[in-house]
Amino acid sequence: MAKSVNIQIASVHLTSKFWQTFVAIMGVTFGVSMYIFMNSFMNGVNKTQDDLAFSALSHIRIYNHDNNYSYNPIESQYDNSQTVFNIHNRKSIQYTSGIKNSSSIVSLVEKQEEVVAVARQINFSVFFRSGSKKINGRVSGIELEQEDKLFKSSEIVTQGNWNNLQTHKSGIIIGKLLAEDLGLQVNSSINVLTSDGVSRNYIIVGIFESSLKDIDKTKAYLNITAARQLIGENSDYASDILINIKDRDNTVPVVKKLGLLIPFQIESWQEANEQLVAGASLRNVIAIAVSFTILLVAGFGIYNIMNMTINEKIKEIAILKATGFSGNDIKSIFLTQAGAIGLLGGFFGVVLGYLISLLINQVPFNVASLETLPIYFRVQDFVLAVVFGVLTTLIAGYLPSRKAAKVDPVTIIRG
Amino acid sequence: MENKTSLKIRNLVKYFHEPETFQVLKGVSFEVKKGEFLSIVGKSGSGKSTLLYVLSTMDTNYEGTLQINGDLLTGKTQNQLAAFRNEHIGFVFQFHYLLPEFSCLQNVMLPALKLGKYSTKEIEHKAYESLRLLDIEDQALKSANKLSGGQQQRVAIARALINNPSIIMSDEPTGNLDSKNTQAVLDIFKGLAKENGQTIICVTHDTDFANKTDRTIEMADGLII
Repeated sequence: MAKSVNIQIASVHLTSKFWQTFVAIMGVTFGVSMYIFMNSFMNGVNKTQDDLAFSALSHIRIYNHDNNYSYNPIESQYDNSQTVFNIHNRKSIQYTSGIKNSSSIVSLVEKQEEVVAVARQINFSVFFRSGSKKINGRVSGIELEQEDKLFKSSEIVTQGNWNNLQTHKSGIIIGKLLAEDLGLQVNSSINVLTSDGVSRNYIIVGIFESSLKDIDKTKAYLNITAARQLIGENSDYASDILINIKDRDNTVPVVKKLGLLIPFQIESWQEANEQLVAGASLRNVIAIAVSFTILLVAGFGIYNIMNMTINEKIKEIAILKATGFSGNDIKSIFLTQAGAIGLLGGFFGVVLGYLISLLINQVPFNVASLETLPIYFRVQDFVLAVVFGVLTTLIAGYLPSRKAAKVDPVTIIRG
Repeated sequence: MENKTSLKIRNLVKYFHEPETFQVLKGVSFEVKKGEFLSIVGKSGSGKSTLLYVLSTMDTNYEGTLQINGDLLTGKTQNQLAAFRNEHIGFVFQFHYLLPEFSCLQNVMLPALKLGKYSTKEIEHKAYESLRLLDIEDQALKSANKLSGGQQQRVAIARALINNPSIIMSDEPTGNLDSKNTQAVLDIFKGLAKENGQTIICVTHDTDFANKTDRTIEMADGLII
């Protein structure tokens, strides 16, 4: 009962000074809407960037790279610290490289429920030669169907056809800029020279154009069986096994699980591409900093308005106290006002933030794969925006309300 | 019942420290019986208003003791005192002091809503009764700042009555009222004291008014003469 009186008084205070209340609510509204807009925009940017990155990047990569550099044969013999030993001109022996029995690994990986797609690759450096021209580049030996599932590679082939690799035993698909540099078209012949000195001619059955210039300039695709032949490896060999999972942000548990089953290096995209993660986090920091600044300014506005209101109503506060309202009642009256301003501002802020975001999403922006400025909504941004809006107003309202609670009725009533 | 003590003070001493230390009350003691209509008179600066605010429990910065209805109020916390005031003390101030944004009816109802003993419907009914008693029922739904001074004073009295307090305190209740309204207020107070047994304590400098009360205490320089 007593609580509802306080609410009643608070609502009378709010409605009797409409413009003041309105301005306070608008302050919160702008803060909250900017928070939503900034975050949705940054999410959009992050998502676009990720989509671009993941056109050539798998979520998890399994590879075998022997790194026994730390192995010291002498130390293991003489673990007695009294012995002085020295090794001159130490050399490492390469025992293994690549995965010899890839199909057993693939079948293991495919059993995991999080896994969406698995593709094997053989990657190595080569020289592409045509006539007297010689260009350094990389060949990917790929499984057509699986590769397409991971990266939608067939979509970037602009001339010829992705599936030509399947039918054409000595077919190759090369990057557009590489083709231009060598002066070659579809159906031309191209010579590939490996680091082991093996040279072979292939027929260009397709030309691709990705969104990454570097790749267009240096990369070529071979069928994985043709690649195995070229570098003289067995028919189950792969240098990399690429995996896509359901939730790419959740690689850690999958990597952990696979680590127990598979004796090779397993690397998530976050580990391999820290710059992507860093870029996304930095943009988030900017978004949060900007929206918090706006909320802070709104908070000061509310603090000011509440302070003014309390100074104006100091007589009434004295009356309420004289007739039996305690300091806590007075505090709750003014906190209720602040809370109402926060909630209303939060509500309008959500609506306004959503509308602004939709509007920005219509602004043309023709760069890379974009057509308009990117916006991506997440429920948590809306929830957090309202929570922060209400919190800011409550904090801004708390200090003045404490002052109101301390009003001494005697000094006011006596004048 | 007639001789039951309503309010009792012992040796009240109070200092003002601004602008310089000054003893306002120099050891005041008296008792007020239940149903008594008491007036306190004295010149400006005699300490009569200061005394009233100590009696009202709003001013807690004093030495000595204050008892109301047998409860010792000296040393209680502000929140306890607020709850006590709400239930047992009604106030009428010199400048009527209604909440301007609320209607007269709401002004009267607020202390009862705060007390929370009765439902809103019952409180509204009681508030109308109070307003009728003061002959101002027809103004109930008007906003408080639209009323004349005399009308506001009556609403303030109705508000003081709403919780059936055992004591009604008043600082210059007729300070800015004409003689007709003054008489009306006097009659109302007399009726309350006689019929409901409510104790009334008024601070006034209107000697005519004081002469019509049951007892008058005169103060000068912080002491009862």
